Amino acid sequence: MQFFLDRLFDGISNGAIYAALALALVMVYRATGTINFAQGEMALFTTYLAWGLTTKHVPVVLCLLVAAVAGFALGAVSERVLVRPIEKRSLLATLIVLLGLFSVLNAADGLIWGKGNQSMPSLFPNTLQSYVSVLGARLYWANIGVWLLVAAVVGLMFALFNGTRLGLQMRATANNRESAALAGIGVGRILMLGWGISAAIGAIAGVLFTPLTPDSLGLGEMFPLLIYASAAALFGGLDSPGGAVLAGLLLGIAEVMLSAYVPAIGGQLQEAIAFVAIVAVLLLRPQGLFGTREVERV
Amino acid sequence: MSLLEVTGLQAGYGQAEVLHGISLNVDPGEVVVILGANGAGKTTTLRAISGLIGRRGTVAIAGAALPPGDPAAVVTAGLSLVPQGRGTFTKLTVHENLLVGATRRRDKAGIAQDIDRWYDVFPALRSRTGQAAGSLSGGEQQMLAVARALMSRPTLLLCDEPSLGLAPLVVRSVFDVLRQINSDDGTAMLIVEQNAELALDLASRVYLLEVGEVVSSGAAQDLRHSDAVRRAYLGY
Repeated sequence: MQFFLDRLFDGISNGAIYAALALALVMVYRATGTINFAQGEMALFTTYLAWGLTTKHVPVVLCLLVAAVAGFALGAVSERVLVRPIEKRSLLATLIVLLGLFSVLNAADGLIWGKGNQSMPSLFPNTLQSYVSVLGARLYWANIGVWLLVAAVVGLMFALFNGTRLGLQMRATANNRESAALAGIGVGRILMLGWGISAAIGAIAGVLFTPLTPDSLGLGEMFPLLIYASAAALFGGLDSPGGAVLAGLLLGIAEVMLSAYVPAIGGQLQEAIAFVAIVAVLLLRPQGLFGTREVERV
Repeated sequence: MSLLEVTGLQAGYGQAEVLHGISLNVDPGEVVVILGANGAGKTTTLRAISGLIGRRGTVAIAGAALPPGDPAAVVTAGLSLVPQGRGTFTKLTVHENLLVGATRRRDKAGIAQDIDRWYDVFPALRSRTGQAAGSLSGGEQQMLAVARALMSRPTLLLCDEPSLGLAPLVVRSVFDVLRQINSDDGTAMLIVEQNAELALDLASRVYLLEVGEVVSSGAAQDLRHSDAVRRAYLGY
């Protein structure tokens, strides 16, 4: 039981991060119709930024805020300067540009902050003693902190989407851009905002995730995360924020449980689980668990 | 002064110019129809006026020139387009579709009042208020498109082929509603329509478009009896 709970807690933490990133991917997909391949690298860039500040003895909470704001700017500017002029040409061109942004950001990280791995200080008490016992298992404050913050971010997003004028305008723009423009919605502003918020969520996820493992801040950190988040977004349905969050959590738990209980998978084949999930979803249920298959009467 | 004054309108897609300098005007409260064969540039005219595509030439509303390519400014100036194919927000509910139509308005009470009014005019929409609009029938979506466009309280309603793909009875009721709105609210209308018979019935003036140019214009009554129009658009 104790072993199971320990794994479950880890799984939920990973899952919460996948969920946040998947939500970010879904937001971009709904705005622009593309997967943002650079999502993970945007998050890595802002996490490095936050880490750089912590080495200057800036409080971690402040670093998180700076990362989120920088992420917002990075996302919004990318949309305006890179994506919008290109997306008129073709979707494929947009994807290539995003792949380009992926490698530019990664190279910039290496140039600015070096190639060695770093440890990111945690927002929450993070010593070996800072845990509460649950049925003999250790539930660390760091885990609880991640859960609560991700839950708050997700809750805020849903309140924004479903409870505000701005959210309605975002959903309308995602659904039918031309009609949105005809209704007087400033479509360009909404697209920038969507990308900005999405990258800010990614930035928060990066600052939360990295401290969970010592020495994990490195140039290759976010790529596996992007794979998991993409799998979650696909699994939940690319246009369904709720589905992405749920699928992210499930995937995080499944990953940890499978590598714990199936020796053949162990620590090495973990990422393969995400790929298997992606392929299985695309084959069996292309619209995902909660995505809408286009059913329209004309 | 004219409500809408279009002068020397040129527009197109990429290298292909579709409109070669169109001039037309609509007076306050007037219903004007644009007739023309497929490819004459009717839809392009409405898209250029409403700012969805770029243009050259001037578009002025009540004497104030509008910037090109800025749909939001057009809505604010009092124009609203019912696009061809209805432009339904398929994943939003019927109610949300109407709310989006009121994007440029701030008066909550007035918005609620207007929604209620259009539900009275289109009872089929009221019974589906919480339903995803994509599940509505074609006729219901056309009614929703008209109601959505009217939510901005326009002084001029642009309609692009409101009869397209609808059963004759449904077309009839859509046109009846347009006529009603015109006489109740004094909303001016500029309508593009293939169904010339119906359109000429509703309109007081007509512009005849051929390959991107106005070839003829005049009172609906006069054009109805002109041989050219009768042969080309009325089929007898």
